[in-house]
Amino acid sequence: MEKRMEAKEIEGLRLSLVIFFSNKTAVVGLMIFMAYVIDALLMQFAPSMLGVNNPNALAFDYSNTIPQPPSPEHILGTTYFGVDLLQAIMQAIRIDLGYSGLIVISGALIGALFGIISAYAGGWFDEILMRITDIFFGIPYLVLALGVGFALGRTIESMIIALIIVWWPLYARYTRSLTLSIKEQTFIEAAKASGVSDLKIMIKHIFPNTLPPVLVQISLDLGVVMAIFATLTFIGFLPTGNLPELGYLTSLGLNYIQIAPWATIFPGLAITIFALAVNLMGDGLRDVIDPRRRSS
Amino acid sequence: MKLWAYILRRILILIPTLIGLTLMVFVIIHLQGNNLLLAQYLNPRLTGPAKQQQLEALTERFHLNDPVYIQYFYWLQQIITGDWGYTNTPIYSGSVTTAISLFLPNTIIIAVFASIIIWLLSIPLGVSSAVNRDSIRDHLIRVSSFTLYAMPIYLIAIALIILLGVYFHVLPFSGPVNPLLVSNLDWYKNGISYPTHILLIDALIHGNLTVAWDAFLHVIMPSVTLALGIMAGIIRILRASMLEVLEQDYIRLARAKGVPEKIVINLHARRNALLPVATSFGYTVAGLLGGAVVIETVFNYPGIGYWTTQALLVNDVGGIMSSTLLFGLILVFTTLILDILYALIDPRIRY
Repeated sequence: MEKRMEAKEIEGLRLSLVIFFSNKTAVVGLMIFMAYVIDALLMQFAPSMLGVNNPNALAFDYSNTIPQPPSPEHILGTTYFGVDLLQAIMQAIRIDLGYSGLIVISGALIGALFGIISAYAGGWFDEILMRITDIFFGIPYLVLALGVGFALGRTIESMIIALIIVWWPLYARYTRSLTLSIKEQTFIEAAKASGVSDLKIMIKHIFPNTLPPVLVQISLDLGVVMAIFATLTFIGFLPTGNLPELGYLTSLGLNYIQIAPWATIFPGLAITIFALAVNLMGDGLRDVIDPRRRSS
Repeated sequence: MKLWAYILRRILILIPTLIGLTLMVFVIIHLQGNNLLLAQYLNPRLTGPAKQQQLEALTERFHLNDPVYIQYFYWLQQIITGDWGYTNTPIYSGSVTTAISLFLPNTIIIAVFASIIIWLLSIPLGVSSAVNRDSIRDHLIRVSSFTLYAMPIYLIAIALIILLGVYFHVLPFSGPVNPLLVSNLDWYKNGISYPTHILLIDALIHGNLTVAWDAFLHVIMPSVTLALGIMAGIIRILRASMLEVLEQDYIRLARAKGVPEKIVINLHARRNALLPVATSFGYTVAGLLGGAVVIETVFNYPGIGYWTTQALLVNDVGGIMSSTLLFGLILVFTTLILDILYALIDPRIRY
């Protein structure tokens, strides 16, 4: 019996992989995403391999601060303060990807916690939680992030906390709606009938079943959060001047947009390509977990 | 549920939302301590004991020594009576209410232009993308809306600046008007136009067509950027819902009866496909407001959003408070009106 279950699960996994890899654009998205992840990991654990001494700071070159066009020496050219763009973008990907991953995953965990409890408990607790998320949805997320960031002080930590605060209500609503439909299924009823405690049902039966759609949502949201993260630094949220971050890099090039458009184009492309890639990948993943979408 | 009962319930829900909203804004502006709050009222020329005396007077006046939960009610009273404090930013110093009356019209004009562009472009594009499924046009629309959807809005702005502003020199991309044109006008002082504070309308009132045309040119880039950023999502929703509607039995019946294809699509299919777009209209408003913050900053357009980012950079309480509160109030009340309208249009929502 056990063995048969296992074989069935492996078969299911194989089928999912076949479906995912038959979607060409999703595979391209996955490959680009992996390239970004590898870059971030290398930058984290072996920055010297990429020729970077300090991955947390931009390498200014005060001898020639005016942006230079792409050349064999600087493949993507340089931006203001003589920063080599290729190197800066590779540094920035670690910061952007790492922090947006942190934001989305913490937001998803907090949201899942509240969403599952709220849907499972129902009643007034559910009502209160929904009204709280209403309040968070009542302010445009960027304005809310600005406000929370203002309250906590303009540092990178407060920016991350602000974005988590903005992001969790989304996941609370999403896991709530997922839990509501899972709750009605027979295996939950069976678990209840055989005397499993509510806590155990939530942790062992409901949470794992909400996981696949939530993971897809996380992959789709990575691009959005990276965009907001870059937007905040672009409008000058962080007072520090040498953080390698894609939004900040774009703003460095902005003053030279007339004579050196590459200084804004390349950091911008780095964000756009990433956002496109995770969207394509997420769409492919969604087809895997939702058979209804596959046929169309 | 009866219609009036639904509306009543919807309005009752508004009360906790409004309390929560104001509470959140209250927390945001109080977390940094009282000094920043007092700074907006303090006379900067005072020093020594005089300054101390004024600080004490202000602390007394705003009940800052009371417990925090009591302060909230005093603050709420202040907000309701229209005393929103003072702001001191590089683009404007003075009372917050005056600042709102100066900046809000500019944000509204950008949002209105953007909405017009969205409405004119997204519906035909979404419908034709779905009707000509898998054609070259469909692929083009899908790829471009997908890319725009993925791009942060400030990058769309920069792309337009590089393309239309820098290379082709067709559109201006900084500020609300060419400063040389308005330097000697008696109805335009220190970047403020009178009487409506909307330069475009004021110029028309005073019959100055050159300025009106220039002001219009300056509005195009910000509103097009805003529209492009928001349109992408609408086109995707509309395409999906249109494809779904075209599969329905009543469409097949209409076609089988021999109704011309044009009428099937424009009359039967499009109206039903627009329903999911209409219900996501609240998100459109949120997108317009949030996007305006970025757009106005990139284009130096003096609206609420530009004021907000300026306020953030100089740690100005008044600007941050009013933008969070104002945008929150606008959004909460639009959603209320929209929800009631949906209930009127579609009785299914009431249940």
